[in-house]
Amino acid sequence: MRLWVYIIRRLLLLIPTLIGLTFIVFILSHVSGTNVILSEYISPKLTGAARQILVQQLTNQFHLNQPIYIQYFYWLWQILQGNWGVTNTPIFSGQVNTAIALFLPNTLMISIVASILIWVIGVPLGVYSAVNRDSPADHSLRIGSFTLYAMPIYLIGIVLILLVGVYLKILPFSGVVNPVSVSSASWYVNGISYPTHIILIDAIIHGAWGIASDAFLHLILPSVTLALAIVASMIRILRSSMLEVLDQDYIRLARSKGISERSVINLHARKNALLPVITLFGYTVAGLLGGAVVVETIFNYPGIGYWTTQALLVSDIGGIMSAALLFGLILMFANLIVDIVYALVDPRIRY
Amino acid sequence: MSEAELKTRKWENTRLSLSVFFANKAAVIGLIIVMAYVVDALLVQFAPQAIGIHSPGTLVENFYNTVPSPPSLAHPFGTTYPGVDLFTSMVKAVRIDLFYSVLVVAIGAAVGSIVGVVSANVGGLMDEIVMRITDVFFSIPYLILALAVGFILGRSLLNMSIALAIVWWPLYARYTRSQTLSTKEFTFVEAAKASGVSRLKIMYKHILPNALPPVFIQISLDLGSIMVIFSTLAFIGFIENASIPELGYLSSLGLNYIQTAPWTVIFPGVAITLFALAVNLVGDGLRDVMDPRRRS
Repeated sequence: MRLWVYIIRRLLLLIPTLIGLTFIVFILSHVSGTNVILSEYISPKLTGAARQILVQQLTNQFHLNQPIYIQYFYWLWQILQGNWGVTNTPIFSGQVNTAIALFLPNTLMISIVASILIWVIGVPLGVYSAVNRDSPADHSLRIGSFTLYAMPIYLIGIVLILLVGVYLKILPFSGVVNPVSVSSASWYVNGISYPTHIILIDAIIHGAWGIASDAFLHLILPSVTLALAIVASMIRILRSSMLEVLDQDYIRLARSKGISERSVINLHARKNALLPVITLFGYTVAGLLGGAVVVETIFNYPGIGYWTTQALLVSDIGGIMSAALLFGLILMFANLIVDIVYALVDPRIRY
Repeated sequence: MSEAELKTRKWENTRLSLSVFFANKAAVIGLIIVMAYVVDALLVQFAPQAIGIHSPGTLVENFYNTVPSPPSLAHPFGTTYPGVDLFTSMVKAVRIDLFYSVLVVAIGAAVGSIVGVVSANVGGLMDEIVMRITDVFFSIPYLILALAVGFILGRSLLNMSIALAIVWWPLYARYTRSQTLSTKEFTFVEAAKASGVSRLKIMYKHILPNALPPVFIQISLDLGSIMVIFSTLAFIGFIENASIPELGYLSSLGLNYIQTAPWTVIFPGVAITLFALAVNLVGDGLRDVMDPRRRS
């Protein structure tokens, strides 16, 4: 099969998954019986004629007088047009779109830093552990990753907060920036920084190096927590995949040809052992998104995850469902990229 | 082969499996820890008075000062927020965590393995549809999906486990399906087919007994991860303010005192880690037993 045929097939497979995802979210918002759209858009304080007018308007917009399976398509149409509803949480109330624009950049920021850490720490340690199999270093690495793997993310975060934040007092562990330091910045209004909404990048754009370094310090602990939560399984999987590759005939051949052990590992073995790791990328994204919910909550870090738990605490359906939809979409496209990259790297997959 | 000979063979096999498992010290330690948790849960369930617990279902026991006090002889793990002894609360919490984790695994396994076996045997369009449905479930991060489902069902422990089971069954369905499909390819199944055994009988007598045991072992090993996720959901606020002894919830109660009383958060967290670790160790031991290449 040609590569582009494979890619088109893979893209077509995306359609049923997308329909399924939106359908799950839609059904979830409607099983409770009461009309969610009305309760999401209309404040309970609103009464009388104004309420009636709004109800009428929403009924027309979402075709609420139609059967539910028809409502789904009207709802989907609104979602596709970018109308994701409203959210009402202590940290933000207003359009979901605005909430996503404010919070998603922060989540992306810690996710990117965390995934860099995961690859920088995980790949060398996994390879080292496999190459020096049964050495003391391998044993301690295995025990370490085994323990880390069993720990709930919040415990990792709390241990880091205690060690680095409370006892050593070298890193801050709450929020994105010290509020005092940004109080005079003109580009920081009501807790929102402009233009990218990521305070670290905004500070660099405006040349405020003091704020930038403070924001960077605030970024370290959440990212490290997120990375540690995922890196353990990365090391374990890479180790076993590397061991499997080292056992292959072509490695034995390379060794018997007299190629140095170093090039055997770096040229022949590592590349092949990294193949399964590509599929791990999708797994990493899933872990990052799920982990972000917990990490952002512990560190009061204003991202999508923090917004989700806030929405849970105040029973804000708009927030929870939009977060589920958003995270689902991100993961779906991450998996799409993984499949395409895998097909590029490993021609066997296309057949 | 005579009946008696078969019996001795079976016994030999079991003995070999046991000796392989018990040769792995880490697995044995894991097994002991898991048993300790089970005994704890059973004691709290059936004889709470015997270990000095009066109200196994709530945190309320004897009230002390609401400000946590450090570990001492009277309170080996200290006390925590609403003024309760942390050790007693954790003993009570293990029962609840274990019960609901088993519930999640049981519901997920029942639904998943039935769907997987049926899907592998019917095949065709139905198989394709089932796989696409599992795809959709895999495309939402499980924590978020569990949050959304549980939120709709209502925030309670039971609904939280139902939500987790709904998130988890596709995994088991896929695993059971692939096990069934690969068992179908074995020569002994072909031999049975060739000797004219009916399809249904092949299913029950030959495929299922060989395909399901590894599936169930895999599933029971998920107990550790499930408990971690269960407590994480409770920690981030899934349980509404209630006096429920649950390990994740216990951790979250101490969160406001973390700077002065770290033990209130650490001890319940360590209890979960220890359980997950022990289950994984047992799992490694069982894999040695199951894998003939590793038991030489």
